[in-house]
Formats: sequence, structure tokens, C-alpha cells
Amino acid sequence: MFGLIGHSTSFEDAKRKASMLGFDHIADGDLDVWCTAPPQLVENVEVKSATGISIEGSYIDSCFVPEMLSRFKTARRKVLNAMELAQKKGINITALGGFTSIIFENFNLLQHKQIRNTSLEWERFTTGNTHTAWVICKQLEINAPRIGIDLKKATVAVIGATGDIGSAVCRWLINKTGISELLMVARQQEPLALLQKELDGGTVTSLNEALPQADIVVWVASMPKTIEIDTDNLKKPCLMIDGGYPKNLDEKFQGENIHVLKGGIVEFFNDIGWNMMELAEMQNPQREMFACFAEAMILEFEKCHTNFSWGRNNISLEKMEFIGAASLKHGFSAIGLDKQPKVLTV
Amino acid sequence: MHNELKITVMQTLESNKKIIEESTNPISLDLPDFTTDSYKDAYSRINAIVIEGEQEAHDNYISIATLIPNELEELTKLARMEMKHKKGFTACGRNLGVVADMEFAKKFFSKLHGNFQVALEKGNLTTCLLIQAILIEAFAISAYNVYIRVADPFAKKITEGVVKDEYLHLNYGQEWLKENLSTCKEELMEANKVNLPLIKKMLDEVADDASVLAMDREELMEEFMIAYQDTLMEIGLDNREIARMAMAAIV
Repeated sequence: MFGLIGHSTSFEDAKRKASMLGFDHIADGDLDVWCTAPPQLVENVEVKSATGISIEGSYIDSCFVPEMLSRFKTARRKVLNAMELAQKKGINITALGGFTSIIFENFNLLQHKQIRNTSLEWERFTTGNTHTAWVICKQLEINAPRIGIDLKKATVAVIGATGDIGSAVCRWLINKTGISELLMVARQQEPLALLQKELDGGTVTSLNEALPQADIVVWVASMPKTIEIDTDNLKKPCLMIDGGYPKNLDEKFQGENIHVLKGGIVEFFNDIGWNMMELAEMQNPQREMFACFAEAMILEFEKCHTNFSWGRNNISLEKMEFIGAASLKHGFSAIGLDKQPKVLTV
Repeated sequence: MHNELKITVMQTLESNKKIIEESTNPISLDLPDFTTDSYKDAYSRINAIVIEGEQEAHDNYISIATLIPNELEELTKLARMEMKHKKGFTACGRNLGVVADMEFAKKFFSKLHGNFQVALEKGNLTTCLLIQAILIEAFAISAYNVYIRVADPFAKKITEGVVKDEYLHLNYGQEWLKENLSTCKEELMEANKVNLPLIKKMLDEVADDASVLAMDREELMEEFMIAYQDTLMEIGLDNREIARMAMAAIV
């Protein structure tokens, strides 16, 4: 069994979905009621790989909503309780979707192993970051040439370079793509210097300096709401890959020859027959999903029951190659620019 | 298209940076000062509730045995365990130099106690099991689980032992209801509608005292809902039925 832990994108949305699913007791409740709501196993599903193997899985909604980010104890409980539920249901490998893995990492939840009478077994969980990083790299390699960017001449900026996904993307770009130049931007300078040393390449720079030079920008940092960017200073064409969470880049970058691609999203070769991804608001909810979720499915297809993506900066090229090959084999592909929603004027 | 609009207003981690810095401080378990007067004052009521709760649990299991005599042995065993817990919790109070306010505790349980007695007289086993083996046990487990995280070392050890037993009790009522679900569902729903709101009121009533003991109301309620939902699911109710039952806690 594979598991996916997800959540709604807003409180209003969560209430609407709960009502749709018949969870009236929380659908009618205020945010305080949601703060006390247990995680819910919303759906069971069977998925058949392109190779013919069938697996079963469950979608668990943690009942977390982003409005709870300001209440860290609540957010922490939501994540841990959902993980406990996944383990109690006997799920072998569960992906932590959306804010779940971000909260796990940033709120340092490794120190909370004991949840009631359950001792969490970390090997049952994966952040899904290896697959996300691989998918972002593939999206870059496939889509840049489509809009007239020659990778061999391209300057790529990675914003959030020292994060788990960011550092993996940098590692791949330097070693596997032959790009002309890598610009690395992150808030903390010390890990950035360490990464540069490890990669033996890449240029450390600031956001404002990187943007006008970059043909391709990979965003894997949580973007401050207040940030203002002058699109006139960007190169044209320019490929922006929105690999962060939430995906809020396209409202900031609108303009001719600026192409914003939702990063880290994959499409399955067949309709899955679930309602889960309608909850996650995918364009084609029967086939599209976050790459991190797909990682749990891939690991289950491969019977690789281990916390494949775990901790920070553990994503090696070998792991990316392994998950990438398995991803293709079982019928996943990275979504491209032709899959993009039309630019919306907010 | 609609999606994009909504995501615009979504919170980001960045907008909550201060909270994250606060949360990643080395384990800030914030244990309360067990020696202050305010702690002891609040403890005198909470401790009494726990002691009274264990006593009533003992009495209730003995009473339930009168309705299912062939379970007498098992129920007596459970009842005996509750008395052991009572002794343990009495020792916790003594250890802190606190005299439990038993009068308060009796009043605290009176309504639920009354409902149990009425059901017992009528021979409504389902209602008795719902009150004792589901609601009270889930209430106890949730409170103990939260308390363990903020208890003094002596009480922590005792409470950890108790929680292990309590899961067994929850299991007992659960098994019986599961086996008899087809015939007892209606009574279960009805009894729940009457008694779950009492649990919520009881929780609200002790919320202030509990917070002095560093037990958060929100966390208590969530722990209760988890134990309650788990049990109902084990009994064999589906998501919608559980949602309908849990509704009684909200209105």
C-alpha cells in the first residue's frame, strides 16, 4: 500500500470539500473546530502501472489548512497525527504532500517519534523530494529548447539553492545537463558556500543580480508575498519553473516571452479514477499529481519500502536516476508548457 | 483558472517566518512549575476528576456485568484495574502535596453518572457501553495522553502505565459493539446524541484548570476526537455515520 498525505489550499476550500465528502461535522465548523479535527482517510484507490502491476493506496487529508501555519503547535499535531494514521493503516510508504513535508522539516518533527501508543517508523515515509527534483530537471531540459533556449548557452538561476530540492537540482544541472552557467541564490550564505564547494562549480549571487542574467529560473524557495519583481529586467525568452509550494509564481511574472511552468507536477499515462487530485486542484485531476505523491506510488510499484527521500541534502544523482527511470517505466511524465493554464489576469 | 486566484491568497511559509523560528528552538517543552499555588490549586480539581473518574469506571464496569453476567470475570478484571489507577493517581496528588477536591469531581461527573444509572436501570447495555467504554475511556485516554507530555516525572510514569491499560478498556466496549452493531446502532446514535455534548461541556469546564497544567484545550479536544473516531471506525461505522455522530460535539 502507498499513502498520500495532503491538505486543502485554504480554509474555505477545505470546508467546501468536507461538505462534498459528507464530513458535515467539520464542514460546518470554524477554524477552531478544524484545529481539533482528526486526520481523515478520504479515499482508497487501485492504480495500475504501465507495466501492468497493480497497487493499492490511500489518500489521507491531515485537516491542516495553510491558515494554521501561524499556530505551530496545531500544524505540528496535524502532520504527526496524519502520519500516525497512515502507519496505523499499515501503509508501507507514504508521501508527505504540500506543506506536510515543509512543516516536518522546518518544525523539526524528527524529535516527535512517539505519537500516543504509536512509535512512528520513519522508513514508512518519504518527502518525495527526489522525484520532485528529477521532474523539475526534466521539465527544464525538455521545455527550454521549446521556447528557443539553447541549454548549452543558457544561464540557469536556482532560487532556494540550499534546500533539499534546490541542492539536488543544482547537482543535476552541473553534472548532467551541460548548461553554460549556474547561479545559486539562497538566504543563508554558509550552506551556499558549502554547496558551491561540493559541486565545484556554480556562482553564488543575489536574487536581484541573478534574475536579469538568467534564461531559466528555477524557484524552489517559498516566495515572500511582498516580493516585487520588474519583469522588464528579465531576459526574453525566459523560462520560470515554479517548483515551490504554494505555486504562486504566475501571478508575479506575466509578460510576453516569459513562460511560467508549474514545476514538480507529473501526468500518469492513464486515468486513475480517484477524487484525490480534484482536492489538490490539478488541471487534469484524473492524471496529474504532485511528483512527491507519485514518488510514493513509484516506490510501491518497485516494492522499495524505504524512506527514499528523507532529511536534507541526501539526494544523490544515483537516487534521481533510479526514481526517474522507475517513473518513466511505470507511466509517469513531467508536465510541459503545453499543459499550462492560460495566463490569468488577477 | 479559478485555482490561480485562490492560490494567490494562500499563506506561505515565508509570511510566518517568526513562528517557525520560535518552533525550531531546542525542544521547548515548557513544563509548568509544579510547586506554585496556582498549579496546586488547579491540580486539586483535575486530580480529583481523575480519581473520581477511575472510581466511577470501576463501579460502571461492575454494573455493566449485571447486564451481561457471562462477562463478569472479564469486567471484574477491568474494574480492578481501574482501582489500581485510582490508587496511582491518588499518589500523584499526594506527591505534589495536593488535596483532591472530591466534591467538585462528583459534581463534574453527575450528569453523565445520572445518564448511566438511568440506562442501567432500563437495561440499555448499548448506552452504558457508549458512556463508559467509549466516551469516558476516550476522554480519559485523550486527557492522559496530553498530560503525559507536561506531567511531573512521578505522575508521568504512573500515567504512562495507566494509558496502556485504558486502551484495553476502550477495546472491550468496542468489541462488544462491533459484534452487536446490527442490533444496537440506533441506540448507539441516540445515546451519543445525548451524551457526547456532555463530554464537550465537561471539557470546557476544566479547560482553564487544564491550561494551568499546560494542557491545551485544543489539543485535548483533538485527542478526544481521534480516540472517539478510531473507536467508532473499529466498531464498523462509516465516515458519514461517524461525521453525523461527531456533529453532536459541535452544536
